[in-house]
Amino acid sequence: MAELEAKSMTDTQLRNLRRQRTKEMRLQLTGFSFMIFLTFMAFGMVALDFNATFIMGIVMLFAFIQVVLQFYYFMHMKDKGHEFAKLFMVVGMFFAIAFCVTFIYIVWIGQPI
Amino acid sequence: MSQATAKKNGVWATIWEYMTTVDHKKIAILYLIAGGFFFVLGGIEAMLIRIQLAVPNNDFLSAGLFNEVITMHGTTMIFLAAMPLLFAFMNATVPLQIGARDVAFPFLNSLGVWLFIFGGIFLNLSWFLGGAPDAGWTSYASLSIASPGHGVDFYALGLQVSGAGTLISGINFVTTIITMRAPGMTYMRMPLMTWTTLVAGVLIVFAFPPLTVGLFLLIFDRMFGSNFFIVEAGGNTIIWEHLFWIFGHPEVYILILPAFGIFSEIFSTFARKRLFGYSAMVFATVLIGFFGFMVWAHHMFTVGLGPTANAIFALATMAIAVPTGIKIFNWIFTIWGGSIEFTTPMLYALAFIPSFVMGGVTGIMQAVAPADYQYHDSYFIVAHFHYVIVGGVVFALLAGLHYYWPLMFATMLSEKLGKITFWLFFIGFHMTFLIQHFLGLWGMPRRVFTYLDGQGYNAANMISSLGAGLMALGVIVLVINIIITVAKNQKVGRDPWGDGRTLEWSLPLPVPYYNFAQIPLVRGLDAFWIEKKEGNGEMLPAESLDDFHMPNNSIIPFVMSLGLFVASFGALYFASGKEWAIDAVADLPVRPWAFWVLVIGLAITFISMITRSFKDDLGYYVTKEEVLRDLEEQERGAK
Ligand code: HEM
Ligand SMILES: [Cu+2]
Repeated sequence: MAELEAKSMTDTQLRNLRRQRTKEMRLQLTGFSFMIFLTFMAFGMVALDFNATFIMGIVMLFAFIQVVLQFYYFMHMKDKGHEFAKLFMVVGMFFAIAFCVTFIYIVWIGQPI
Repeated sequence: MSQATAKKNGVWATIWEYMTTVDHKKIAILYLIAGGFFFVLGGIEAMLIRIQLAVPNNDFLSAGLFNEVITMHGTTMIFLAAMPLLFAFMNATVPLQIGARDVAFPFLNSLGVWLFIFGGIFLNLSWFLGGAPDAGWTSYASLSIASPGHGVDFYALGLQVSGAGTLISGINFVTTIITMRAPGMTYMRMPLMTWTTLVAGVLIVFAFPPLTVGLFLLIFDRMFGSNFFIVEAGGNTIIWEHLFWIFGHPEVYILILPAFGIFSEIFSTFARKRLFGYSAMVFATVLIGFFGFMVWAHHMFTVGLGPTANAIFALATMAIAVPTGIKIFNWIFTIWGGSIEFTTPMLYALAFIPSFVMGGVTGIMQAVAPADYQYHDSYFIVAHFHYVIVGGVVFALLAGLHYYWPLMFATMLSEKLGKITFWLFFIGFHMTFLIQHFLGLWGMPRRVFTYLDGQGYNAANMISSLGAGLMALGVIVLVINIIITVAKNQKVGRDPWGDGRTLEWSLPLPVPYYNFAQIPLVRGLDAFWIEKKEGNGEMLPAESLDDFHMPNNSIIPFVMSLGLFVASFGALYFASGKEWAIDAVADLPVRPWAFWVLVIGLAITFISMITRSFKDDLGYYVTKEEVLRDLEEQERGAK
């Protein structure tokens, strides 16, 4: 509910902010190109007919890295003030994985354990 | 704007005010009225069940109608009575307890209540439109896919709509508590009601999506011809059971945690002592919330998951008893040596301890997987969950009603009638459900519409039905109490119980629509008590007196929910008589208009969403002069 107050900044503050933003921008771009690169690699491996099991493992690994990058760099989980979001996501993933594992074992495979 | 419309003072102006309100205090009243209505409805259904079962070979209700009544009783009580009534108290107290002027998303708060109300009405319209759902509140897919007619469709769509409302409100409370606390209100200074609301909100956020998924699969199967649960087509009905209980077990904690919160407040207020072991209480609340997600398969021990799976879930279930036990001991130590005042809320709180412990003990018995093969689907289970839900949640709702009534309406319910209600309800409750443990152990199955003479069930069932009658009497006295109190309208002033400890009691009654003239500074746990003992009994302000910002009223949430309500009818009749439909609805007359109703309903909702996003509604400012005028008036009133 806080009103937006347009406070004027001093020159140093402004310069610092600019520098920070440039750095942030550079990080975003690096992350982005890295992710494009990973995607490219994944497609490349399939195109080059590598061993299927090998591809599966590597693509899963890439996917995991991409998810982490996505969360931390693009969705700002690395920044301050996101502790609760982080906690929620980790707990949510924990539950989701637990549910999937039980579904695979006791519903899909269907053998009582 | 809220006060401008209210001043017109007509009945219609008041109704319009409530339809458009975004004020958490008024939304609390909406939840209370709607939840109270559904509570009475569910109660009438309960009485019908108990009349049917009072004597053997009874034909008061037919077998089919009996199934509809038990299904609607369970569904109504859990989704439309207990949860909304808890939301009523959360809305009434939490923003005040943390020193906020409203919730984080007032618009969503209003959307939540209207979705719930429309979902509830939709579900109950099934009585008039061809028969209510009859597959049990758990609606296991093997039954619900086979259930003829549209009953189960009402269940699936009604719960989907009201469930969306619950999810929205859950998110709202989590955000509110995390972001809107007053200066000094650190996490470890939050009253237990706020803590349990936070954890229950988190549970809602995690538990409702599985229910939504399960309901969508059911909706697709029954209304759009998919095959998720249709075994002949390669579906699997067990998936529903998992999805339902992944939601269902956390759901029982969504109900009981806020109840724990209400009791914690009542114990420390009327024992005039700080809550014993506050940090252990907080820790136990969080731990219960976490464990609550790891135990769902204890409802499925007899499905045949195998001994290893059963053992894992049995152990996880028993583990929950530890934090619950911690809480019980802390409450006992809170009243230990306190100067106890036996008010109506305190009576409920004291009765809650032994009643709830009995329910917990039978829970542990059922958690022993091999033993549960005996208890499962018998009246023992019915006894267990009524001991925890009535002895825990409903006691908390009744206690909270008396305790928070002055905060919500600035009047006091009669203590004398309140105590009569309590004794009738307390005795009736134990009379109804204690004997059901034994009925279960003697072999009486649950969800069966009658029993034969000469099986030794007669006397016990009669006792149980008589007990239910006592509870109904108690509720009738309560309704009389409410009517008398409203008619008398004798206003009370600030801190009406005299021993208020937390921020909400520091406010003048009736609470101004902006709650706090100045956001207070919190100096410790039980913020108001500290100021009474160490300060001058007034909260210190954390900001200077100034203009502040409030949200505008809006009718959009109402229209949005109405759209989904209309769309639900379209979805419901969509499969009627279609050749690809499941057998249950394939023989019904074709409804060619169903598709268009669906489209129109969704259009209403989407258009209101678009309107909402394009219309810049910036709210309004409450001026310093108005606040000063109010403060002066309060001072004059106090003298
Ligand atoms: C110490 C804590 C608890 C334990 C160990 C426990 C354990 C269990 C178990 C094992 C069952 C399944 C029995 C069966 O169907 O064979 C069950 C059923 C049930 N419990 Fe609990 N429970 C506990 C607390 C609660 C609480 C606090 C509530 C609600 C506020 C609750 C509500 C229910 C309901 C509604 C059912 C029946 C569901 C149905 O089949 O319709 N329980 N409990
Ligand atoms: Cu459970």
